[in-house]
Amino acid sequence: MAELPATAGLEKADRRASAVRAGEKYVPWVLLAPTMLIMTIVGIFPLLHSLYISFTSLRPTEVDKPQGWVGLDNYIQAFGDAQFGHSLLLTGIFTILSVAIALTFAVLLAVLFNLRLPGFLAMRTIVLVPMLITPIAVGITWRIMMMPDLGVLNFLLSLVGIDAQPWANSKTSALAAMLLVDVWQWTPFMFIVIFAGLRALPRSPFEAAAIDGAGPLRTFFWVTLPMLKPVIVVASLLRIIDAMRTYDTVYIITRGGPDFSTDLVSVYLQRVNFKFFDLGYGAALSWLTLVAILAIVLIFVKLTGFMKTIADKGARR
Amino acid sequence: MTARPRRPARTLRSVACWLLALAATAFFLFPIYWMAASSLKTENDVATYPPLWSFTPSLHSYRQLFEEMSALDALVNSCLIVGMATGLAMIAGTLAAYAMARFDIKGKNFLAFEVLSIRMLPPIVSVIPLFIIAKQLGIFDTPWLLIAAYTLSGLPFVVWVMRVFIQEIPQSIEEAALIDGCSRYQAFWRVTLPLLLPGLAATMVIVFMFAWNEFLLASILTSREAKTLPVIAANAIKPKAISFGLASAAGVLMSLPVVVLVLMMQRYLVRGLTLGAVKG
Repeated sequence: MAELPATAGLEKADRRASAVRAGEKYVPWVLLAPTMLIMTIVGIFPLLHSLYISFTSLRPTEVDKPQGWVGLDNYIQAFGDAQFGHSLLLTGIFTILSVAIALTFAVLLAVLFNLRLPGFLAMRTIVLVPMLITPIAVGITWRIMMMPDLGVLNFLLSLVGIDAQPWANSKTSALAAMLLVDVWQWTPFMFIVIFAGLRALPRSPFEAAAIDGAGPLRTFFWVTLPMLKPVIVVASLLRIIDAMRTYDTVYIITRGGPDFSTDLVSVYLQRVNFKFFDLGYGAALSWLTLVAILAIVLIFVKLTGFMKTIADKGARR
Repeated sequence: MTARPRRPARTLRSVACWLLALAATAFFLFPIYWMAASSLKTENDVATYPPLWSFTPSLHSYRQLFEEMSALDALVNSCLIVGMATGLAMIAGTLAAYAMARFDIKGKNFLAFEVLSIRMLPPIVSVIPLFIIAKQLGIFDTPWLLIAAYTLSGLPFVVWVMRVFIQEIPQSIEEAALIDGCSRYQAFWRVTLPLLLPGLAATMVIVFMFAWNEFLLASILTSREAKTLPVIAANAIKPKAISFGLASAAGVLMSLPVVVLVLMMQRYLVRGLTLGAVKG
């Protein structure tokens, strides 16, 4: 008898709640509307406009030249553009090396800082700072430090008896110098993500490995790394996307030189678009770059099961 | 007793690890120290070899930055543009994230990935049409264009990260509020939103940081009036005459707010940075 009123109350509440929900059929769409509006106006529409421009020979600064529809001409020209191919290749090399080196350092740092020795908390916080520095400021600072005649890097090298290096001023070492800057700035990002992943790992597999008598190296390669895989995949994907569009630091330090040895695709595109103002051709190159980036991201996603990682997370919640 | 012979070895290993950590910290800290030091050196002191390790700090570069480079205008522009864009992205994105977390919508995952794909768009791709459209609409070199662009690039973060934060708050709490007679709006405002505050703050810091640091769009879509801080800083580096003290001061000026904000929010930040995909 005592339960009856409670059940009735619950039913009533249920009915009220579902009545509220029936009237709210359109609520999710109202909530989504601002985002979709911004995406359409600022995102999709300019993108489609750029696709249209890529089929024209738009040159706003040279009004005497033809500006109209040229069909696939820009794309055909792009495939014969050795400079474009060179910049894509450079970007590919740069991305792979930068992400691979940063990832290696980040994993080592994460394992190191996981030891919890005195002073590690403060050091860990300091290590994060490079990723917070504005990329333009990073470029300025490293350019000052890498000056061949006045720079502090060559001074430090001279202290340990190493010859002065040309850093960003030589065709052979400029890309390596850009990699150094990139790794310096972005290892902290990969580090903090992997470190957080490491801290969140369950204890039991490590205890089991210890009981089985596995040494630190075996534990690292057979227990730690496999369990860190989802974190590593996400951090790498985000870093790959960003490394492929590196611009600020290179623009400040080398502007693509010397002799095009650091002419990453963003730098090259900037030159085509806003130095030569060949906007039609620039738009075509932009689209090819976008397609290349999407293809690489999709391949990475397929190879690593990135979607599954995220879907699993969703299912567990 | 049997453990005693291993102890010196373990201490040695700890010391080695500690030194390694110290070396890594020095590597990451040194350029930041050098930037700060250069910004406080006089024009002559910056260009001295061997480099000066002790010098009389001078605020000369900072004064020059404000007096000759109109850094104050750029600072105001940066605050206005980034502030507006962050606010808009937070509001629109959180609403969308709420819809995606709480309602069954057809094509929800497609929508989510469409939003994410904006994150993959290199700014150099969208800058040409934005440039042309802006010229035609007459909003070139006004703050509005950058506000729109930064709102768009902030949205994917907000939608993805806030979706995870919202999903973590049990729906039953809201349902309890509904049964108690709250409207959905009240349930969200009084019950869910307070629980979301740490997540909102962390997300906001990240969106702020990316817009604050953005250079490429700002350098192309502005020419005089709407210049932001990174553009001013880049202007200090000219191919021929580089003013190192000035450039460093600009670097410090624009990096300081982000460093302070992020270090304050450190605890909540990792999930934000990974688009909420990884538990941190």
